Amino acid sequence: MPEVPGLQSAPSCWTTMCQDRVAHILLAVGPDLYLLDHAACSAVTPPGLAAGVSSFLQMAVSFTYRHLALFTDTGYIWMGTASLKEKLCEFNCNIRAPPKQMVWCSRPRSKERAVVVAWERRLMVVGDAPEGIQFVLDEDSYLVPELDGVRIFSRSTHEFLHEVPVASEEIFKIASMAPGALLLEAQKEYEKESQKADEYLREIQELGQLPQAVQQCIEAAGHEHWPDMQKSLLRAASFGKCFLDRFPPDSFVRMCQDLRVLNAIRDYHIGIPLTYSQYKQLTIQVLLDRLVLRRLYPLAIQICEYLRLPEVQGVSRILAHWACYKVQQKDVSDEDVARAINQKLGDTPGVSYSDIAARAYGCGRTELAIKLLEYEPRSGEQVPLLLKMKRSKLALSKAIESGDTDLVFTVLLHLKNELNRGDFFMTLRNQPMALSLYRQFCKHQELETLKDLYNQDDNHQELGSFHVRASYAAEERIEGRVAALQAAADAFYKAKNEFAAKATEDQMRLLRLQRRLEDELGGRFLDLSVHDTVTTLILSGQNKRAEQLARDFRIPDKRLWWLKLTALADLEDWEELEKFSKSKKSPIGYLPFVEICMKQHNKYEAKKYASRVGPEQKVKALLLVGDVAQAADVAIEHRNEAEMSLVLSHCTGATDGATADKIQRARAQAQKK
Amino acid sequence: MAFPHRPDAPELPDFSMLKRLARDQLIYLLEQLPGKKDLFIEADLMSPLDRIANVSILKQHEVDKLYKVENKPAFSSSEQLCFLVRPRIKNMRYIANLVNADKMAGRTRKYKVIFSPQKFYACEMVLEEEGIYGDVSCDEWAFSLLPLDVDLLSMELPEFFRDYFLEGDQCWINTVAQALHLLSTLYGPFPNCYGIGRCAKMSHELWRKLEEEEDGETKGRRPEIGHVFLLDRDVDFVTALCSQVVYEGLVDDTFRVKCGSVDFGPEVTSSDKSLKVLLNAEDKVFNEIRNEHFSNVFGFLSQKARNLQAQYDRRRGMDIKQMKNFVSQELKGLKQEHRLLSLHIGACESIMKKKTKQDFQELIKTEHALLEGFSIRESTNYIEEHIDRQVSPIESLRLMCLLSITENGLIPKDYRSLKTQYLQSYGPEHLLTFSNLRRAGLLTEQAPGDTLTAVESKVSKLVTDKAAGKITDAFSSLAKRSNFRAISKKLNLIPRVDGEYDLKVPRDMAYVFSGAYVPLSCRIIEQVLERQSWQGLDEVVRLLNCSELAFTDMTKEDKASSESLRLILVVFLGGCTFSEISALRFLGREKGYRFIFLTTAVTNSVRLMEAMSEVKA
Repeated sequence: MPEVPGLQSAPSCWTTMCQDRVAHILLAVGPDLYLLDHAACSAVTPPGLAAGVSSFLQMAVSFTYRHLALFTDTGYIWMGTASLKEKLCEFNCNIRAPPKQMVWCSRPRSKERAVVVAWERRLMVVGDAPEGIQFVLDEDSYLVPELDGVRIFSRSTHEFLHEVPVASEEIFKIASMAPGALLLEAQKEYEKESQKADEYLREIQELGQLPQAVQQCIEAAGHEHWPDMQKSLLRAASFGKCFLDRFPPDSFVRMCQDLRVLNAIRDYHIGIPLTYSQYKQLTIQVLLDRLVLRRLYPLAIQICEYLRLPEVQGVSRILAHWACYKVQQKDVSDEDVARAINQKLGDTPGVSYSDIAARAYGCGRTELAIKLLEYEPRSGEQVPLLLKMKRSKLALSKAIESGDTDLVFTVLLHLKNELNRGDFFMTLRNQPMALSLYRQFCKHQELETLKDLYNQDDNHQELGSFHVRASYAAEERIEGRVAALQAAADAFYKAKNEFAAKATEDQMRLLRLQRRLEDELGGRFLDLSVHDTVTTLILSGQNKRAEQLARDFRIPDKRLWWLKLTALADLEDWEELEKFSKSKKSPIGYLPFVEICMKQHNKYEAKKYASRVGPEQKVKALLLVGDVAQAADVAIEHRNEAEMSLVLSHCTGATDGATADKIQRARAQAQKK
Repeated sequence: MAFPHRPDAPELPDFSMLKRLARDQLIYLLEQLPGKKDLFIEADLMSPLDRIANVSILKQHEVDKLYKVENKPAFSSSEQLCFLVRPRIKNMRYIANLVNADKMAGRTRKYKVIFSPQKFYACEMVLEEEGIYGDVSCDEWAFSLLPLDVDLLSMELPEFFRDYFLEGDQCWINTVAQALHLLSTLYGPFPNCYGIGRCAKMSHELWRKLEEEEDGETKGRRPEIGHVFLLDRDVDFVTALCSQVVYEGLVDDTFRVKCGSVDFGPEVTSSDKSLKVLLNAEDKVFNEIRNEHFSNVFGFLSQKARNLQAQYDRRRGMDIKQMKNFVSQELKGLKQEHRLLSLHIGACESIMKKKTKQDFQELIKTEHALLEGFSIRESTNYIEEHIDRQVSPIESLRLMCLLSITENGLIPKDYRSLKTQYLQSYGPEHLLTFSNLRRAGLLTEQAPGDTLTAVESKVSKLVTDKAAGKITDAFSSLAKRSNFRAISKKLNLIPRVDGEYDLKVPRDMAYVFSGAYVPLSCRIIEQVLERQSWQGLDEVVRLLNCSELAFTDMTKEDKASSESLRLILVVFLGGCTFSEISALRFLGREKGYRFIFLTTAVTNSVRLMEAMSEVKA
């Protein structure tokens, strides 16, 4: 705060002001006024301030922060805008004694401005008028400025001083001829069964002011505190409504409801004497909150039900508050509290049992909290609290029940830190869903843990797979790879998976062999499959080694023949191929020879083998080498319908016309027979 | 050709809203990081992102440069880095390395990680362990449904299959439930719900919970879609393993459709450039042939070409005014059609070339034999030869799986010998592939249940406690038998053919497999829809090992119009194939339904096998 010049002792008076969302302090030192904000201090002078002021005794800012009143030691009151740019009026009350309190008394949207000044036993209302209004105070009193007036408290009374609202004034002013006043009069006469009622009504209707009249009565009713008066005004409004065609009913209905609520809370048992304007400003939600704070749950619920508020905002919320209060009653047993709460709440929508349970836990009632959580239908909601209460295992099963993997994961990490490794793994073991989730995480983030997990479970199959993966993903050196495979093979044996164990051992053998081949022959052998290793050997002319390898790894004859055939054809070593074909009877027949030769576009070689193809595949072979005519002959000779159609489908245009005819003839003949 | 829909077929809901939602949300997230920024995108998200917001939209929101998240460092000079990634631990490590490198260099930048479709706690955990949790801000882009076509929504989560069916990881189930919830808030509640499979059941339960929590939002809305059917991929592996022969499926098998579009190489475009083509209902030519058996496609295309020529030819004999009209109104359309036509003809030629080269007929014959269950020995030999000749590791694997599932597992001798041969041909690391396939129940040994080890049987015992419905015990599949033969008989999956099956005028869904086999998944859906429940299908459900896992959930909803009751959302958990889509489209035309497909990803046999394969890094 900046320094204020000449400030030796406490200022004679000061106040806080608020403009454009910035707070200022207005402070009086002798005859000077200073305006302070967080950085600067500036002297200010209210415009039109009377001369001769030597100090300020009181200042007051209005409820809306828009107006300012200053009381000087000369008994002079300056009233103006809070910006100190404009004077509204001034008043001289000729009382030099410092007042006890000074507050503004105004009504929203009203043009009238007044300040209430209180001394020991005297109250004065001053404004833009030559005379003030004086009241005598019987007791020590205290003033509270409100939105629409001033509350005056004393030891035995509670009064409300306010500007008379326009509607009330119109109606109740002596000899008022306002439409509302006439309507009220008409209704009274009507009740007396006097024809004057008609006269009054006519008078209003002639001026076409009936809607205003009804509106005035409704409005005035709102400002009345006595139910009898409210009733008579509302009755008048209702009476007037009868003569109107299209008067929207909601303003009337709403006023009736509001008044009912207001009367209920104004009751001395409750003691919340709100005015209508204050109630509207507060909103029903805030009012309910206040009732809840005062633990007036039944009244709050009745109000909700009466106003038909949606359950989530209304009844459920209040019940939840009630339940939170209920769990703090330490003299009642957990069982009883839980039951009582469940009985009242049932499954009211919008009630969160977990919130209530959290409250119970907050009061140190863990058991009660767990009981309450049982009523929570959304298992996901139970988890965080259960974790907080260190019921992690229960939390885990609830999380799994919720189907939310994120939640499961949260619990898992919690458990991981809370339990020792062994217990943690044991817990996982009983929860397959959590286990697979954790495994997924470990696969990416903690490979070693994954291994431990498999070990713990005696899951040798997976352990074996783990080592196999390590043998080509993690390990670089050949020794490391072989060692990993050895570990895998051991695991597979334990898992009684002989096949995998043998295959792994074969792979170890192959790796070592490939390493040797690379050393001896150069080139790349590592990581080739058995098949590709043999092929590579043949392609590099190492036929002996190839055959040795094929024997070592028990490559079946069929595969070896396919392999050699393909490799030799790739080399275009036709001589070797022919030698090979004659080495013994081909286990795959000779059709593949034809196919492969044709693939290399060597028709000449292909024809050599076509002749050796067995009778069932002869036609196919002949067609492959493009000898349609001979294929037709063979097909006809076989009297095979399928073969004949196959040949026929290969007959193209003019060149094979004769062959096609031949087949057709043979077919016809076959059909005759 | 290209059967029209029945006149009373209901209109499809407009799914483009999903795109707009996703785009708006992404823009909002980008704007949360005001100023210029570089965007790092995970490779898998690039194509889906492209369908939502193209580069110019990104630029509009001050994205400066685009980088791909990959295994090498990127040198970005921007002061703000934004990462758009799937919630994977691998990606977190990538980000951590980048941030930590900056820290070492004493550089401070702003980092933002946007997870799509959702954030996982495990990822945050890793960020924390790497010591950068405080340096990055995290957000979620709830983009889980991409409309690939008017009737096809994809979650673009191919990893769903491996994560759930192999690793037993349930993290995506929540995503599925969220997606269904989103659909029900946008298109009204679903009055009838059916499902089969463990994942389907869990997703459904989770979805219901979500609906209850946000009670009231969908209340009072008229349902637009009358039925929803959830189906786990493991209920029917057979269909997904078959070679596809309808055009769209073949294009996928041959060229790999990615996120609704395909890259046609030079051999198709008959130029020296590749061309990226969107395949959906907007392509008029494609739309007419996509569901056709391949044997009809050529005939159709040539007919189409002749029609097109005829339309061009109308120019002759036109007067000036007509000509003007023709040029301004029709010519553009004709040219467009011409372009598409030549593309698809090119694609067909290319398919023909590939499919005859590998003796496709032989392959199909073997597949049909496996499906029908005759000459098993011959088929086994064929597979063995296939392996010995090293034709293709994925194809060989696929045939082995098909043999195993249709035969309730391989007999021990074949199981061992085929595996040995396979390892010799394609490398020893496939030992892990076989272990994966066994765990998923795709490739098993015919044997009594005594192969279960102590631990495994313990695990299966646990299935009795409360959370039982929710446990996926990775081992349960071991005890499962596929019972394909019995199911096939019960559901009449192999149609009896008298004479030639007319593929031009199909009479049942079997046409998608040349009349040899009705897709099991589609048949189940057909049967349940017919009965509006699982009643009378008890035996089938038991054979599918889903006794506890088939459910019906009907809400009494009078507001559902008869139109909406003929709209059916089919949810494939673990992916669906184009053949299945074609088959159900056919069923829809026959019965006056319209099907809408929601899949975790469009899949085919190759993708399934690749997901199960262990490949050296």
